[in-house]
Amino acid sequence: MVKRLILPVILLVLLLGFWASIDFQEIAAGVAIFLFGMLMLEDGFKIFSGGFLERVLAKATGSVPKSIGFGIATTTIMQSSSLVSVLTISFLSAGLISLLAGVGIIFGANIGTTTGAWLVAGFGLKVKISAYALPMLAVSIVLVFQKSKYMRGAGLVLAGLGFLFLGIHHMKEGFEAFKDQFDLTRLAMTGLLGLVVYTLVGAAATVVMQSSHATLVLIITALASNQISYENALALAIGANIGTTITAILGALTANFQGKRLALAHFIFNLVTAGVALVFISPIRMSVDYISAVVGIPDTDFALKLAVFHTIFNVLGVVLMLPALRQLIAFLERTIIQPEEDLSQPKYLSEAVDEFPQTIQIAMRREVLHLYDNAVELIVHGLNLHRKDIFKTRDIAATVAASRTPYEFDIDERYEHRIKTLYSAIVEFATRVGAKDMPSDVVEDIYTMRDVAGRIVHAVKSVKHLRRNATHYTEREQGVITELYNGLRTEIGRILVEIRKLELADEDDRSGLWLDQERIQVERDAHDTNNTIEALIRDRQINASMATSFLNDSNYAYAAMRDLLEAARAYYIETEDAMAEVERILALEEDELGDFARGARAIEQESQSL
Amino acid sequence: MELESIAEKLDKYFSRLERGKAAKIKPAHVEKVIAKLQAKQQLLQEELRAAEKPSKKSRLENKLVTVCEQVERAEWLLDKIGT
Repeated sequence: MVKRLILPVILLVLLLGFWASIDFQEIAAGVAIFLFGMLMLEDGFKIFSGGFLERVLAKATGSVPKSIGFGIATTTIMQSSSLVSVLTISFLSAGLISLLAGVGIIFGANIGTTTGAWLVAGFGLKVKISAYALPMLAVSIVLVFQKSKYMRGAGLVLAGLGFLFLGIHHMKEGFEAFKDQFDLTRLAMTGLLGLVVYTLVGAAATVVMQSSHATLVLIITALASNQISYENALALAIGANIGTTITAILGALTANFQGKRLALAHFIFNLVTAGVALVFISPIRMSVDYISAVVGIPDTDFALKLAVFHTIFNVLGVVLMLPALRQLIAFLERTIIQPEEDLSQPKYLSEAVDEFPQTIQIAMRREVLHLYDNAVELIVHGLNLHRKDIFKTRDIAATVAASRTPYEFDIDERYEHRIKTLYSAIVEFATRVGAKDMPSDVVEDIYTMRDVAGRIVHAVKSVKHLRRNATHYTEREQGVITELYNGLRTEIGRILVEIRKLELADEDDRSGLWLDQERIQVERDAHDTNNTIEALIRDRQINASMATSFLNDSNYAYAAMRDLLEAARAYYIETEDAMAEVERILALEEDELGDFARGARAIEQESQSL
Repeated sequence: MELESIAEKLDKYFSRLERGKAAKIKPAHVEKVIAKLQAKQQLLQEELRAAEKPSKKSRLENKLVTVCEQVERAEWLLDKIGT
């Protein structure tokens, strides 16, 4: 109900304001242009976030001081703590950084955001920044229309800054003219009531504008035009810090439990900081006066003094919260409990990772691996085997022959539950990413991973078809036909073991080319099957019905093996472009596999005849 | 050793490279792949030494033959890339 009323109320207030004062229009337009500039700045940085930002983020969060430093630096550069919060939630959801690192970044972002106040108070109000804004906008549009995505990104960043400057200019002009008609200082309140009321107003304004930055600029410009009192401005700045957490909370709605924990940490941090600032407002004011005097800020320059205040109370918040950081993490983990792992649900693909190319790629790769783990479980159990036995044994054939007891489970139900739901989520995610304006290499990788998932699903389906006869002919000894089916079970087991070796090998040592030997073996075995079956029928060791069943089932088994191998090759192909090119050139093509298989057979026959 | 196929793939790669649609392969890239194949070769040799069943031995020997072929192909590629 309240939610539905917000928009009409905002529009009504704006219309009334426009009707009452032409200068209010200029202030509102200034805020709008400023926010538009922030959106452009965010879009510009997102274009650059394809590699550099993520690489730095992944490396620069090894310790709490590093995380805080990263939060300060990125927020200072991007001039948006909201973007840094959303980025951090996205990385946390994709499992790229720890909660501790995430909270460290948020702490740092709160300090970094204070640079905005300095920028506006120290530069925006003292220099005629509209003189810079217009040329910046003109140059930016030339860059935005360039083909290179980095040029486009630079253009958007420049345009964003241009609009920020233009927005500040209009707010400043609006307040200058507004004070001639209406004296807002008449609404000034002193004492505790003023502190509470203006804190709430600051929080509400930030919730509406979704940017503490915009609120602060508005406060500073109003303060510089003497439209609000210095005391009320301080309370508004404190309120803005509370209101800004709403962006992180909204961002976390679609995130996983870790993202939600981070949003709660952000809220607690800002609330505690604001509380401390409100309680100790007098000593903080005194320290502002002292520091201002030391650095040479005139006593009447309230805009710069507000910037000092904003910095002091945010730094104070970090200083106070840092010693309790571990306790905060423990509290978050207790409050937002990690949901019990549901293997049927996607673990990494949430809308929170949608925004940034690198998180998209990593989340997709992890989800495909999750699907593969579920598939391996189903394939192994479908063949009445056990993963720990297969992965531990030194003699797969003997382990398979000894594993006769049927594994009782509903393979169709398990397929629907553990495979199909994940595969659907992967396909849907790939489609969603494909519709976005993402770098072509990222989209290509996402589609490759979707195809890998498709191969895995096909392999599971093949084993589903194979299961009935494999169980029937192997649960008790029935002579040659049991050996044949055990042979298929063993081959599939071997492929899974080889893929696992690749998975466990050091990234710098392994290569998808390792699987070429298995591909040759599969083609060789598949080719030999017909000859073997014909010989067995001739010798009356199996009847025609058994032979037909086996030939059908061996087709399913070899299809599963090929799918698993192709999926693993595509998954483990080098990620560096030039290395991937080398592997592609060296990899055996389908038609070469037969030649290699025949070559291997000739060597074998030669060694047997010696 | 079947080199026609990789020679063909190499030609296609060079034409993609000319069009700016492929990353440039440096000798170091090929050397790195050779090192990975040699690492596998070593693993297979260790497995072969430990193997007892004749069927397993023969299987591992076949795999070793394939890896040797792959190393030869990679060395051929290194030669072509290096020149």
